Amino acid sequence: MIFRDRGPNIDWNFLGTAVVLACIGVLLVYSATFYTEPTLTTAKKQMLWVCVGILLMIAFMVVDYHILFDIAPILYGIGIVLLLYLMVFGRLTANVRSWIHIAGFQFQPSEFMKIFTALMVARFFDSNDRAYLDVRSFLIVMGIISLPVGLIIIQPDFGTAASFFPLYAVAMFFGGIRPRVWVAMILVAALALPAAWYLFLKPYQKERVVIFLNPERDPLDAGYQVTQAKIAIGSGGIHGKGFRHGTQGKLGFVPEHHTDFIFAVLGEEWGFIGVSVVLGLYLYFVTLALTFAKHARDRGGTFLIIGLVAFFVFHILINVSMQIGVLPTTGIPLPLISYGGSSTMMFFIAIGLIANVEMRRFVNAP
Amino acid sequence: MRVYRDDQKFLQFRINAVLWGIVAAFVFLAGSFWFVQGVQADKYRGLSEANALREIEIPPKRGLILDRQGKILADNQPAYRLQVDRVVMKPLLKADKERRAKLIAFLAQVLQRPPLEVEARWEKETKGQSISQPFTIAEDVSLSQVATVQAQSIAFPELNVVPVQRRNYPYGTMAAHVLGFIGEVNDRDIKQNKELEQGQLIGKRGVELMYDPYLRGRGGAEYWEYDADGRRLSEYTPARKQPVPGDNIYLTVDFELQRRAEQYFIENEMVGSAVVLDPRNGEVLAMVSSPAYNPNVYSRRFAGDVYKTITSNPFKIELNRAIQGLYSPGSVFKIVMAMAGLSEGVVDPRTTFNCGGSGVFFGRRFRCWKKEGHGAVDVERALKVSCDIYFYNTGGRLGVDKIHDYARKLTFGEISHIDLDGERAGIVPSTQWANEKQNRKWYPSETISVAIGQGPLIVTPLQVANMTAAVANGGKVFQPHVVRYVDRVQRDGSYKRFRVPSRVLHEVELSAPALKAVRQGLWAVVNEQGGTGGNARVEGLDISGKTGSVQVIAYSGWIKAASLPFKFRDHAWFASFAPRDNPQMVVVVFVEHGGAGGADAAPLGKLLFESGFRDKVQGARLDLNDPETLDQIREGELPLPNTR
Repeated sequence: MIFRDRGPNIDWNFLGTAVVLACIGVLLVYSATFYTEPTLTTAKKQMLWVCVGILLMIAFMVVDYHILFDIAPILYGIGIVLLLYLMVFGRLTANVRSWIHIAGFQFQPSEFMKIFTALMVARFFDSNDRAYLDVRSFLIVMGIISLPVGLIIIQPDFGTAASFFPLYAVAMFFGGIRPRVWVAMILVAALALPAAWYLFLKPYQKERVVIFLNPERDPLDAGYQVTQAKIAIGSGGIHGKGFRHGTQGKLGFVPEHHTDFIFAVLGEEWGFIGVSVVLGLYLYFVTLALTFAKHARDRGGTFLIIGLVAFFVFHILINVSMQIGVLPTTGIPLPLISYGGSSTMMFFIAIGLIANVEMRRFVNAP
Repeated sequence: MRVYRDDQKFLQFRINAVLWGIVAAFVFLAGSFWFVQGVQADKYRGLSEANALREIEIPPKRGLILDRQGKILADNQPAYRLQVDRVVMKPLLKADKERRAKLIAFLAQVLQRPPLEVEARWEKETKGQSISQPFTIAEDVSLSQVATVQAQSIAFPELNVVPVQRRNYPYGTMAAHVLGFIGEVNDRDIKQNKELEQGQLIGKRGVELMYDPYLRGRGGAEYWEYDADGRRLSEYTPARKQPVPGDNIYLTVDFELQRRAEQYFIENEMVGSAVVLDPRNGEVLAMVSSPAYNPNVYSRRFAGDVYKTITSNPFKIELNRAIQGLYSPGSVFKIVMAMAGLSEGVVDPRTTFNCGGSGVFFGRRFRCWKKEGHGAVDVERALKVSCDIYFYNTGGRLGVDKIHDYARKLTFGEISHIDLDGERAGIVPSTQWANEKQNRKWYPSETISVAIGQGPLIVTPLQVANMTAAVANGGKVFQPHVVRYVDRVQRDGSYKRFRVPSRVLHEVELSAPALKAVRQGLWAVVNEQGGTGGNARVEGLDISGKTGSVQVIAYSGWIKAASLPFKFRDHAWFASFAPRDNPQMVVVVFVEHGGAGGADAAPLGKLLFESGFRDKVQGARLDLNDPETLDQIREGELPLPNTR
C-alpha cells in the first residue's frame, strides 16, 4: 500500500543501480572463491546477504523517516549498549572485539551503529537550522558521533572507527563552521598528527603507513597485499583476463580477495573496462543520492542523505584508492560488492533510508 | 509543494561543491587505474606470471660411462632428496614461532642425525639464498624415511620429497681411478666455469672430470602454477624446457681385463698398479691402481669424518698409481739401456761381459743380483737373466746423458698427455738435471745405479707401458687414452659418435738389429729355461717381457726379500707385450713392496694375456672362478693349459 501510494515517487534508477552493483558483487565473490572453495559457501552467503539487505532496504523505506528520527535515540542507545557489551564480553577475533555471536551468527554492531549515528546527527540538524554552528551545538554533534567512535577505538578497531570520519566531515562542513575555526582546526590537526604517530599508533599501524609510502620495501610482508593487488589489477590490462580466469585472486596471491581487495579481482578479470563501468555506476549512484539531498523535504532529510552518502563515498574512495596504493591499506569494504553480511546489510539499510527521504520529498503526496 | 528553508541555497551550494569534488576524485582514480592497467599492464602481466608460475629445474641425466664392449660402469639411480619450500614455510613460521625448531627436531628424528647437524645444514643452505627456490636439507633419503615424511605431509607441508638421479657405479671400486668420481661444485669451479651453479654435481676426478662437459648435459625446466600457499597446481606445458642428457662415454677399457687385474691385486692383498695398452693405437685396455676407493661414496654428500677416513688411509687410495705413482723402474729399465747401448753402438749384439757377481765401477763395488754371477753374457742373455753387470758396463760406456736422451725418447720424464687428470712426469736424471735441479755435480758412479733403473730415476707405470709399447711397435710413441668414443644422443634418438683419435706423439728411431736383439732377449725372459719371467708363460702365445725388482732400501749383501718387513720389501715390476711378431697388447704390472718381479708381478701378466688372447690360447683355459686354480696361481705353480 505504501508503494502504491508512493510508487510514482520512487526513483527506480537509484534502486536499480544499487541492485546491479550488488549483483556484480556476488559474481566477483564467486569468481574469487570458486577455486579454493568448490562448495561456493561464500558466494551463496553473499547472495543471501544481498536478499536480506534488499528486504531490510524495503523495511527502511516503508517506515517514514520522521518516525525513525523519533525513535533514533532508542536505536542509538541500543547500539551503545551493544558496544559496551562487546567491551566487556566480546570475543577476540584477529585481536579485535568487534563481533557479536548470536546463535551461530555473528555480526558487527559497529556497522549498524553507523546508521544509528547518522540518524541521530540528521535528527539533530533537523531542529538546528542556523547557517553556522555555535560552540554548544558543535560540541553536542561531536559528542553524538564520538561516543560510539570512542567505544569502537577501545575494541580496538581503528578501521571501522575511521569510517565514522565522514560523519564528522558532514557535521562540520554542512552544519557550518566559520572559516577561522577551520584554520584553527587544521593547525591543531597538524600538531596532533605527529603526536598521534608517537603516542597512539601501534607498531603495526605505523608499519602500514610506512609500507604505504613504499610498498615494494618488503614484498612478502606488509607491502605484499598492495603489491599483489597492483599486480592483479595491472595484469588485467584493458580487457581483463576474463571471468574466473584471474590467477592473482583465484590462487590467493591477493589476500582478502573476496572482501577488502575484491576490486583487485574486478580489475584483474574485467580489466580497465570493468573498473570504469563499476566506478561509473558508483558515481551515478552518488550523484543521484546527492540530487535527492537537494530535493529533500526538510533539513533532517537532507542531512540524513548527506550523512549516508558520505559513508558510501568514503568507503568507495578509500577502498578503491588502496587497491593501487594511492592510500594505505585499511580494513574498509567496498560498498555492496565486498563480501560481508553486516556491511552489505548496513549499506542496503542506508539505500532504503535515502530512498525513504526521496519518496517523501513532497509534503502532500499525490 | 516544497517547504523552503532559509538555508536552502547555502546547503545546495555545498552539496554541489562536494559533488564536483567527488567527480574529481573519481576521475583521478580512473586515471590512476588507466596508468596501472593501460600503461604498465605489460610489467604487471609479467609479474603476475612470475607469481603464479614457478620454474622447477629438471637436472639433466648424466651421461653413462661404459667399457669398450658397452658394459655400464657408471649410470644414474633414482634417489630421493628432502627439500624445504620456503615460500610455503614463510606464513607458517609467522604463525608459529616454534615452527623452525619443531621442523628441525622432526627432521633430526627422521634422518637420525643430531639436531645441531640438521640446523647447521639449514643455516648453510639458506644463507644468502633466494626464498623462491626450495633448499635441500637431506640427500639420499631411504624409502622408509620418505614414507615417514609423507605421512607427516599435513603437519609439515613445506617438506617436499624430490626424486633425483644419483650417480651410481654398479661395480663399486672397479676402474675407480679411471672413472673418477663426482662432487658438489665449489667456489673455484664456479669461478672457472660461469655455467655452473651452486649445488650442482660435477666430475672431480678421472673421466668424470676430464669429460665433464660431455657427461654433464644441459638442465631443463618445468613451469608449474602455484597458489599463494605454495601448493603446486598444474604444469604450464608450453614453456617446458626439456633437459638434454649428457653424452655416453665408451672407454677403451676392457671390462674382463680390468676385472681380472683388479681381482689379482685384491685377492693377493697387493698394493700397486697395472696398465694394459694396445701398442697399435695407445688405447688403455686396463688401468688398475690398488687399493681403490669406492666412487659411490662420493656420489652422496658425506660428512667430514668420511673424508678424513679416505685421506688418512696409509695406502693413499685416491692416488692413481698408474699415472701418479713415481717409482724406480728397476730392471725393466734395462730394456731402455739395451736399446740405447745397441743403437749408440757402445755394444753390439755379440758383445759379452763377464759377470762374476760383482764389479768395480768408478771406484765403487757394485753387485749383481746373483751372488754367483752369470758368467759371460751378451745382450740377449743379459735381458733374459737380468744381469746387472752387463748393464753397469753398458751404462758406464754410455754416460748418463746418453741414457737420459734415450729414456726421454722412450717417454720417461714427461707426461704422456693421457686423458686423465693429475698425471706426473717423474725424473730422468742427467748432468744438466743435477746442475739445475739439484745444484750439484753428477757423480759418474750414479750412472751405474741409473743403468739398472735405480738412483734418482723415477717413472710411472704408464710410462713403462708406453716405453714397452714403443719397443713392441717399433718406435711409435702414442698418446695413451682411456676414452674410445663419445656418443651424443641426437634429437631423433640416434647417436652421433665422436671418436677419440689415436695420436702418435713422436717416433723414435730404433735400429733394426737393436730391436731384433732386444725383442729376442725379452722373448727369452718369458719363454726360455732360466728366464726371469717364466711365470708369465702361456702355451701357444709368444709373450715377451722383462721383470724387475727394485730395492727400496740399501742393504749390504744378498738377503731374501720375504724376511723383510712390508715397507722395506722390493717393488716388483713386469713389463711385457704379445704376440712377439705382431704385438697387440702391452701389459705392465707393478706391485709395491711385492718382492720379486718374476714371482709377484709376472703371474698377473700371464692372466691378462690369457684373458686378452682368449681365442689364441689353445686348449683349455684356466677356470679363474675356481678357487683352487687361483690358489695355484698364488703359489706360483701355474698349470699350463691342456697339460696336467
